[in-house]
Amino acid sequence: MSATEFVKVTIDERTVEVPKGTGMVETAAAAGIEIPVFCYEPRLGAPVGACRMCLVEVEGMPKLQAGCTLTAQDGMVVKTARTSTQAAEGQNSTLEFILVNHPLDCPVCDKGGECPLQDLTFRYGPGNTRMTFPKRTFEKPIPISPLIALDRERCILCYRCTRFSENVAEDGQLVAINRGAQSMIATFEDEPYRGHFSGNVTELCPVGALTSTQYRFEARPWEIQKVPTVCGLCPVGCNISATTREGKVKRVLSRNHPEVDEGWLCDKGRYAFDHLHARDRITAPLRKAGPRRFEQLTWDDALDAVEAALRAGGSSTVTALSGGESVEEAYGLAKLLRQGLGANEAVLPEDVPDNLDAFRAPLSALRTAKTIAVLSSTPVVERAPVVDLWLKAARRLGATISYTRPAGAVDALVTDDPAHAASVEATNVYFLPLTPNGRGVADAWSAAGDGEPADVEPAVLVISGDEAALNPGVRALAERADTVIGFGMFEESFRGIADLVLPGTSYLERDGTTINLEGRLQRQRRAVLAPVPDVLAWLAKLAERFGVELSPYAANVFDEVAAKCFGEIRYADVGEIAELPPRAERRAATREPGSQTEPGSGLRLVAYKPLFSGPAVERTPELQFQRPNGELQMHADDARARGIRNGQTVTVSSNGTSLELKARLMRNLARGTVRVADGQQGDLHPEVEVRA
Amino acid sequence: MAPEIVFKDATTKLAEYEASGGYTALAKARGMTPQEVTDELIASELRGRGGAFFPTGRKWSFVPSKDQIPKPHYLVVNADESEPGSFKDNEILSRVPHRFVEGCLITAHAIDSKHVFVYIRGEYEGPYEILVGALEELKDRPEIRGDVTIVVHRGAGAYICGEETALLESLEGKRGQPRSKPPFPAISGLYASPTVVNNVETIVTVAPIITMGAAEYVKLGVPNTRGTRVVSLSGNVVNGGNYEIVPGMTIKAIIDELGGGIAGGRELKAVVPGGSSTVILTKDEVDVGYDFDSLSAKGTAMGSAGIVVLDDRCCIVQLGIRFSEFYEHESCGKCTPCREGTRWLTAILRKLEDGRATQSDLDLLLDVCDRINGKCLCPLGDSDAIIIASYVAKFRDEFQAHIDEGGCPFGGESSLDGVLAPIQMHTHSPVAVVPA
Repeated sequence: MSATEFVKVTIDERTVEVPKGTGMVETAAAAGIEIPVFCYEPRLGAPVGACRMCLVEVEGMPKLQAGCTLTAQDGMVVKTARTSTQAAEGQNSTLEFILVNHPLDCPVCDKGGECPLQDLTFRYGPGNTRMTFPKRTFEKPIPISPLIALDRERCILCYRCTRFSENVAEDGQLVAINRGAQSMIATFEDEPYRGHFSGNVTELCPVGALTSTQYRFEARPWEIQKVPTVCGLCPVGCNISATTREGKVKRVLSRNHPEVDEGWLCDKGRYAFDHLHARDRITAPLRKAGPRRFEQLTWDDALDAVEAALRAGGSSTVTALSGGESVEEAYGLAKLLRQGLGANEAVLPEDVPDNLDAFRAPLSALRTAKTIAVLSSTPVVERAPVVDLWLKAARRLGATISYTRPAGAVDALVTDDPAHAASVEATNVYFLPLTPNGRGVADAWSAAGDGEPADVEPAVLVISGDEAALNPGVRALAERADTVIGFGMFEESFRGIADLVLPGTSYLERDGTTINLEGRLQRQRRAVLAPVPDVLAWLAKLAERFGVELSPYAANVFDEVAAKCFGEIRYADVGEIAELPPRAERRAATREPGSQTEPGSGLRLVAYKPLFSGPAVERTPELQFQRPNGELQMHADDARARGIRNGQTVTVSSNGTSLELKARLMRNLARGTVRVADGQQGDLHPEVEVRA
Repeated sequence: MAPEIVFKDATTKLAEYEASGGYTALAKARGMTPQEVTDELIASELRGRGGAFFPTGRKWSFVPSKDQIPKPHYLVVNADESEPGSFKDNEILSRVPHRFVEGCLITAHAIDSKHVFVYIRGEYEGPYEILVGALEELKDRPEIRGDVTIVVHRGAGAYICGEETALLESLEGKRGQPRSKPPFPAISGLYASPTVVNNVETIVTVAPIITMGAAEYVKLGVPNTRGTRVVSLSGNVVNGGNYEIVPGMTIKAIIDELGGGIAGGRELKAVVPGGSSTVILTKDEVDVGYDFDSLSAKGTAMGSAGIVVLDDRCCIVQLGIRFSEFYEHESCGKCTPCREGTRWLTAILRKLEDGRATQSDLDLLLDVCDRINGKCLCPLGDSDAIIIASYVAKFRDEFQAHIDEGGCPFGGESSLDGVLAPIQMHTHSPVAVVPA
């Protein structure tokens, strides 16, 4: 690679040196000068020069130039509105034109107060209007989905949303129709904008044209707080900013971590916070009062009851974890049970390979990988959504992505199967865990004690979290236990199986840390107070009864865990933009020869856990339309061989049982595999036939 | 009689075309290296006939070699003729389709391209059929076609798709909106590959230049405007139609000698010299050579050679409304000044015409023109601003009269109905038939 060529550019009489070809907006920023923009957003692909807000004067060029499409060349002399009356007039003109049709309904607009159009109008725009004829009007607001409302009158046609849809999410659902002043944003035939990432357009919109239905008329920017935290709904751990007002989460915005999420969020992470206010939220300790009924009891009584049950269980207590707990919660629980009771037996949420730290890399490195193997029976987007965006970015840059075992070495491997991780030669390996913090939970459990797990029949089963309570394996175990103690958020998860339930909290209501799929330790901050006491607080009280020392504060607990397994990093050092720990030493080759299943005549059916499922999604009404709708994903080649077209209803059959599903053809899965969302496979066996 | 180059021995039949020496220029060109063909075009001083007047040979020479950019080269012919006042390409494709195809094949040879796309205006049903018929005739003539594929693509009724980058977007199946330049099409055009975009009249001139030689061709015309030019004459003139002229002839002569003068014995008022996008000329300015330099000196241009003659019944404000409505209607909506500005201009002009305007509206009109001009992504919005400003500059009294008299001095007497279609008639119909 040749050395970067630096060029000197003079902007408003300040000279900066930047790499040749740097965009003028960034070049100016390097000189500490703002070039205002609306349409320009480097994450959306090549600049389009549409809004004309960034007009600057360039020496030697007769006309004003769009700063966003201009790149730094040596000796270039640029003047922005600060020093050029021509540029200032240009920007003023653009704003005057934008405002010609923009309704001045700022007082009732959700964007008001945090609106780039408002801000730039104050800085660069005209102070009054010379427009005397009627503004263009549209029907409004249009719900382009249950999540997003579109106000076409406010739209300034910067095309950020359509470019996101086309160039980033690649769903192509949001488009501009008509032309000229009648141009407007629309979906095809007014179908809802359905997709894993649709909510990002509300954040990209520089005006109040695309707003979140959840946040509409809920708050004004001057009465909200923003809490920087990390999403706890999938193993990516996107950095988020929770907007709160009067102690309630009102919305979730992205908080760009350039190595993890690049500022994109999936709709689950963005919208599922509604589960905090679920009707069946557990707000007080519960005791079983009938087959499907609970009664509330006081905290003192509850702690007494739990203590008594645990003492009865002793070392025959078994713990089932969800993988959604923070490291500190999992550690506190583990310490209580392992050190207090000698109960070393746990049902961990999943197997997390511990030999991948030598192949660790930031997710952003996926974009520049040239060869990528994706060996995942679960669709990547359903398990770790933002990883799918990184894969798409890589493909747009020309990466070769294979969905079957590669013949040779690849730059990156993305897999949901630890066995693959060990058998493919890859520079970077990204393992996709099933749960948000499965690894952190496993680390915490093992750090909390060194007693050997005894293969015991559970006298007492402790179920930590709703996901564990809903797990069929855990429920089967609960049938066999004498007493079941649950910790969780929702009554429905525990009804019928738990004898005692203590209220749990959400990732938005706690302080703590989690470890994402890269192995990055990230810090969650309490965005709002839970309607119930903090989990660590009552765990500490319980621990005290068993003579176990446990701090009720996440920071202290973290420092204790970190000393044991995170290399002594301090809680305060886990920054808002957390760094990825360095790679571990590569151990001696432990690669196993991978098993390549020979394709038979039938197709392998995989039931995957859809992104839009689980207790949080179920409790968010606006997300219901996003839930899977009876689609059979199949490779286009497999479909062609069977004469199946996209969208066609097909019969899926095995061993005398059959189902009708709608075929969805795609190329980003392995040939020979078909997939349905879990719960829609009926009684089908893993090997199926598909007919048109 | 002016020499005919474009329309010489016009025929739509392959046999007749070959009998009059057709496709011999192609054979001659294929005997030359691509560089030699390009050099011949440079020597001919042919300039692009679409309106921008860029030297054709130089445009071809910008296409990088396949060593520099290992991608296919494309020739795209712009037959999306939609400029109000221009209808030359219609007649060219209808009368000399084989000369056009021959030009395509020679150009493809010169730029080392195997793929030619002709983007033809959707409403040009007649020319389309004739062109397709000509290509049909070549089906069993592999020695003429060579290994070049010619695809004729019909537009869907958008003026903006005559802008070369919007045309490329549309051809790629996207929304017809201009791209920001650079990169220029010669480097990154169709499918991000090196592409030459030429106008129909430019391409149809290529074969004659190869046949007669650049040295002969440059003898015609005046400096900076060589050869011949097909002029579309319309408006209040006795004999409207296309005329192939030798540049240097004056507009006055074109109107009087070719067009038979002003219809109905009326007085000439003004002339739109090169299609709607060009600065208007008053009756006192028409004794000007119809060539690049002479028109530039008058602050206007040949554009796409559509001369619209306006007699003394024409209300300039109404003319402005017609054109401004057109640009508003055809604005693609991508960049702000054009999308919002053209609509605003029309609104102010209507206010003037309706007699609701005050003095400040006239200042506002000019100021809005200023605010559009030079700030758009492509020339569409600029054109509207430039022409409206020129109407005010040259007919200020008439605009003033609209304010002073509280309405249009011409009332409903303006003759524009026979000159330019109002916007309500600009409806796209996929089955509209434009007579060949």
